[in-house]
Amino acid sequence: MKRDRISVLKIYTILFFLYIFIPLILIFIFAWNKGEGYVFPLQGFTWNWFIEFFRDGLAKKSIGNSIIIALSSATVSTILATLLSIGLLKGGFKRPQLFLSFLILPVLMPSLTIGISTLVFFRTVNMPLGIPIVIIAHVSISMSYVFLIIMGRMESLPLSLQEASIDLGASWLSSIKDVVFPILLPAVIAGWLFAFMISWNEFIITYFLIGTNTTLPIYIFSQLRFGISPKVNVISLLVTIFTLAIIFMLVLIRNVYKKIILEQNSV
Amino acid sequence: MSIILKKNKNLVYPGLTWFFIFFMLPLTIILVYSITERSLTNGEPLKLTFENFIQIFQRKHYLVIFLRSLKISFFTTIISIVFSYPAAYFLAKRTRFDKILIVVLMVPFWINYLIRTFAWKLILSENGILNQMLMGLHIIDEPLRIMYTQTSVLLGLVYTYTPMMVLPLYASLLRIDNSLIEASLDLGASRARAFFDITFKLSLTGIFAGTLLVFIPALGSFAIPAILGGTDSVMIGNMIENQFNMVGNWNIGSAFTLSLAVLSIVLVLFYSKIFGLESIYKNRGTV
Repeated sequence: MKRDRISVLKIYTILFFLYIFIPLILIFIFAWNKGEGYVFPLQGFTWNWFIEFFRDGLAKKSIGNSIIIALSSATVSTILATLLSIGLLKGGFKRPQLFLSFLILPVLMPSLTIGISTLVFFRTVNMPLGIPIVIIAHVSISMSYVFLIIMGRMESLPLSLQEASIDLGASWLSSIKDVVFPILLPAVIAGWLFAFMISWNEFIITYFLIGTNTTLPIYIFSQLRFGISPKVNVISLLVTIFTLAIIFMLVLIRNVYKKIILEQNSV
Repeated sequence: MSIILKKNKNLVYPGLTWFFIFFMLPLTIILVYSITERSLTNGEPLKLTFENFIQIFQRKHYLVIFLRSLKISFFTTIISIVFSYPAAYFLAKRTRFDKILIVVLMVPFWINYLIRTFAWKLILSENGILNQMLMGLHIIDEPLRIMYTQTSVLLGLVYTYTPMMVLPLYASLLRIDNSLIEASLDLGASRARAFFDITFKLSLTGIFAGTLLVFIPALGSFAIPAILGGTDSVMIGNMIENQFNMVGNWNIGSAFTLSLAVLSIVLVLFYSKIFGLESIYKNRGTV
């Protein structure tokens, strides 16, 4: 009886994973399929769609823009969030919870509202839409995510460590730079990658703020709306491989970080 | 000691300044637009009005879209709970490989959701993979028209946001002490009773956290109905876009945007009142 129940659950879970992954696998298969249409049976193997993709200037330009936006917004938001988390949690605030409930808003609100309000704001102050504004809006949302990530690790950093370094003659700046920051570093790197991924994938906010320019998600969206070509499958495949590489790095950093914590605890 | 704290404290200012200028101030401007007529920039004196909000409820067209969005998001949430509960239960209670499986499950979440939505377009369209399969097996004679309906939007939303439901469910189920269930069984409860009185009740935190993570983005979704939906599946997001990009009525558009923001904030406040704010991000479990 008990065994039966368990195996039903197991089969369900396998089906659940198939449900999640089969649509993606379908996309990848058709990246190499010869025909224009998405019809089974497959019509043979080709690299043509890859070649066509690499010839597409707009696709390359949008990838370039996406990388610029992701790199700069991740860097700015990580710097701001790192300082913010040190200040908020090690700055003697009596009720950091109050700030927290505000700072968590960008994470929990629909991105549409953030996109629209940023659009209205910059149109009101009469600044032209484009990449700089997209970067600013991306920083506003990813700062909250990075803050949450770094905050999670902050608990393992006692204030006494910083005090001790100052008692031993370090300046305040060097206590932050040489004591606090190295301990937070793995979380900072993880936060940076997280922010990079948010910006890299972000569509809605970008859609409202990019103006006449384009990013990779915008490019994919326009392709999807007006007739689809297997070129989109190639983009999807490449983006997925890139994404998996980043996730792999995140997991790696996490493991290294755990090791560091374990070593510290054993000392 | 206090000097260190003071100097540390100063580090909050760059981030907080950014947050107030680029996040809170824009929201405030939206608020101003939603309760006034005309544009802020043309120099005319502002006139306070609630007309924009009243219109949402008076114009049938707006109300229909508003209610439809609530309906679609509600069903998205319910279906994703039903879909993910057994899988989350299996991961939390019946396997040793749960850590790695959770990471695997999060992989699609990191892949751009436009790409995932594209997959559903391939599957559901008239000569898509689903129709080919069903017609090949002679289950149906004519292709099903699922694409560009509310059903396709619902399927796309469920598929996109289900992983967000699994995580908090899994986290809440993992925390349940197995000895509680064993004790109830020893005391004579049936397996069903033990499940509903203990496991299910204790996993409610996860269900509510997941509801926030699914319902709010579904309600504010814009790209998925634009790609998979037709004229009968326009949602709030599409209408807001329309107000800003086509109609140019910023006041009504702002009223809609603000309603969406307030609705999500109310849901979050309601949740944090019951379960505490920390549990939201503790349940998120990033990668």
